[in-house]
Amino acid sequence: MLGKCHLVNNMNHLYVVSDEHIPFGRKVLGRFLVWSAAVLLVCFGALQLLQVNSGLDFGFQNWRPTLYAYVLWCICLCWGQVLTYGEKGKRQLFILPAVLFVVSLTVFPLLFGLLIAFSNWNLSNPDGRQFNGLDNLRQMWQDPFYWNALWNMVLYCIAIIGEYAIAFCMALLLNSEIRARKFFRVAFLMPLMLSPVAVSWMIGKSMLEARYGPLSRLARFFGVEDPSFFSSAEVARLTIMAMDAWTYIPLMMIMILAGLQAIPKELNEAAKVDGANPWQNFWEITFPLMLPVSITAILIRIIFKLKLADIVISVTSGGPGGATDTVTSFIFREYRERSNVGYGTLLAFVYLFFIVIFMTILMKLAERWAQPKT
Amino acid sequence: MKTGLYDYVVKAGLTRRRLLQSAATVGGAALVGGFSAGSALAGSHSSVRADILKIPGVGAGSPADADWQKVGAMCLEATKASVAEGEFSGVELTFMGLNNQNLHNVLFRGFLKPWEAYTGAKINWIDLAQADYNARLQQSIATGTVDFDIIEMGAPFEGDTAGRGLLDEMPGWVKDQIDMDDYVGYLQAPVGTWGGKTYRVTIDGDCHTFSYRKDYFGDGAIGGADVPKTWQEVNAVSKALVGKTDPLTGQAAHGYLDPLKGWGGFGFYFIENRAAAYAKHPNDPAWLFDADTMKPRVNNPAWVQAIQDVMDLIAIPGAYPADQINADPGTTGFSQFLAGTGSMLMWWGDIGSSARTSDSSVVGDVVGFGINPGSDRVYNSQTGAWEETYNEAPNMAYLGWGVYVTARVSGDEKKRKAAWSAAAHLGGKDLSLWMSAYPSGFQPYRNSHFQYEEWEAAGYDRAFVEDYLGSNADSYNHANAALEPRIPGIFQYYSVAEDELAKGFAGQYGSAQETADAIASAWEKITDQIGRDSQVALYKSSLGL
Repeated sequence: MLGKCHLVNNMNHLYVVSDEHIPFGRKVLGRFLVWSAAVLLVCFGALQLLQVNSGLDFGFQNWRPTLYAYVLWCICLCWGQVLTYGEKGKRQLFILPAVLFVVSLTVFPLLFGLLIAFSNWNLSNPDGRQFNGLDNLRQMWQDPFYWNALWNMVLYCIAIIGEYAIAFCMALLLNSEIRARKFFRVAFLMPLMLSPVAVSWMIGKSMLEARYGPLSRLARFFGVEDPSFFSSAEVARLTIMAMDAWTYIPLMMIMILAGLQAIPKELNEAAKVDGANPWQNFWEITFPLMLPVSITAILIRIIFKLKLADIVISVTSGGPGGATDTVTSFIFREYRERSNVGYGTLLAFVYLFFIVIFMTILMKLAERWAQPKT
Repeated sequence: MKTGLYDYVVKAGLTRRRLLQSAATVGGAALVGGFSAGSALAGSHSSVRADILKIPGVGAGSPADADWQKVGAMCLEATKASVAEGEFSGVELTFMGLNNQNLHNVLFRGFLKPWEAYTGAKINWIDLAQADYNARLQQSIATGTVDFDIIEMGAPFEGDTAGRGLLDEMPGWVKDQIDMDDYVGYLQAPVGTWGGKTYRVTIDGDCHTFSYRKDYFGDGAIGGADVPKTWQEVNAVSKALVGKTDPLTGQAAHGYLDPLKGWGGFGFYFIENRAAAYAKHPNDPAWLFDADTMKPRVNNPAWVQAIQDVMDLIAIPGAYPADQINADPGTTGFSQFLAGTGSMLMWWGDIGSSARTSDSSVVGDVVGFGINPGSDRVYNSQTGAWEETYNEAPNMAYLGWGVYVTARVSGDEKKRKAAWSAAAHLGGKDLSLWMSAYPSGFQPYRNSHFQYEEWEAAGYDRAFVEDYLGSNADSYNHANAALEPRIPGIFQYYSVAEDELAKGFAGQYGSAQETADAIASAWEKITDQIGRDSQVALYKSSLGL
């Protein structure tokens, strides 16, 4: 076997076993496979498009023939690489299926999503989807519900500062030598293990119920006449923030705790020897060292927060008067209750765009903040 | 029927002796022609009806698959009259429906097993949760992937399906087999029809009825001597009750319970209850839109009055329970009214049965029923003026479930007949009585279902059934029933209205008129998006114009 092959030093200085000679016929066969599958794919796609748009009937019941042609083309493409390029083609096979998979499951849907986003597609419209240019964008611009939801998201994200402070305190507590530390670690983590929908029903719908909820009774015991956690816009928003915080603070806490445990104890001890008091120890030593972890925790928390919907949908449906609405819960209503696929998709794309911009800026800033001060 | 009422009887501990007495009463009455000559218990049907009501027997536990199969087999005579044994051999049908509370499709399977055995057809099932139903149906329609031959569907979706030619017209022999003339008034055409063609085998009835606390009303009672008959009186009582104490719970007394939070579109039915009395003129079948233009009427003076009524109560501290702004219909019905908070409520039949049966209900002994309150005046959209005359209009919210056959079978006569035969079997007159009397997920919907003797003989409390079912019967057969518009996307209109109402109730709009204008504006956009011309045509068709 080794007699037929020899070692080749390629451009990347990797030694690979390769068949040196690829017969011309094999190369032609490889290219033929790829191109014939491509022609088949184009033909099926074109015929199906023609059937959809012109009304001509070619007997297609659904889009599966084109899908199968695409799968065949993908297989032929991979096979063709091996036939045409031999060992180099085999190396490409390590990455090509993954590339095709990603393209199939992300890029195509994204492009299709963009097509829908610029369409008037209400599922109840008998004429189906119609391209409507920038109409959805104009509608969004004038849609007070969407901007209200975006503003709420800003407020929800600001609340992360408070969540971070609480998470840091809890992490410090668990990092110190306290009794039943292991128990508290598990206990503090439990809210994170609960489904937000379960939290919505257990806390939002039961414990906070205005009439018989235990927290309402407690409030009455302390003299609050008509305790209500969702009546006014501000209180409702704060209550949603608190429920969401209760669920996700443990996530931040566990990340910060991991960071705290990674700090060499010698640093704090040295500071103590130099006469630093506990506050100085924290503020000058621990906190700066924790900055990279903190920023990571906050960024992850922001990503989670931007997806906030389940608690809002379950407890308030966005009310009162949109005070607790999130972008996701609003898009959910547009999509699910109003079958407004085109507009809902555009809102989701715009939100994605905002998130990408916001997170990019935030990560750049975080990078700068996390740089050690010189 | 809803499971609750049945559970109540079961809990009441019907004895074997009493059961046998009941069965004997039914049997005996049937034998001697004890029921009125005009009743539905005529001819050979009467013995079948009496016999199926013994399966498994009220008080003998919840029916199971064996019972459903037995009932299905006993109700097969109508099928045998039109279908030869083994006639549908080799036919496969797909049935899409719900599986809520292990009812609906779960029962249908049992009912149709004897039918399958007799005809030779085979049924494949698509079971859906209620929450997934709308999206699944809409997506099937929009993407042209209707993959079912028979569908259990609510009448509000007739616009989306029949309006697009997706349904198969009911053959004449089915109409005869299911005795459509027996349907209660509001389920007669145009409901179930489209463009003059009939598509629906009705299996359920739906409407909102008025529930009230008897201990609030009467001589010396805190709510006054009489139960309110109009929405003006409802509001007056609600205001007068502020500061008083509930006679049952000892907590603060409250009047009418408006749900102020949306409920996936279903919450809009509740502002409709108030508006129906003001806006549904007896001479005009339309009340949500102008039939010729689809111009919303939701911002006309009648609807504005309904919204204003709610705002008036919001403005009075204590008129509603605390946190009412966050109360959806589920809250007002189950967490408030049944738990002893508030004295008046509009809801579907579930509340009526749950009042007596739910463990969390404390109002079982003090609950009474009636139809939707009326109004001292009614708005005439044609003249644009109020008429100072009493008006009432029960709200036929959702119009109940039906079984429909899709156009997939239209080209295959054997398959088509099989599909319609299955639908007719489920909507048969005798089978429907059993579904009304036992847990099935469906309410009575035929005049023959309101023979209270049958219920009493089966073991139900006569007074309660007369009161509860009577309020349904009075609503169903009302001459001025406010019918649901069966147009495409109707729940889109409701859903967006809920959002705007929530803003109005939270004080984000300056007035009731402004709130109503915002709803109207949103509705206009939906109409334009779906297609105004087609909506006008379909709306007219749904109204039978």
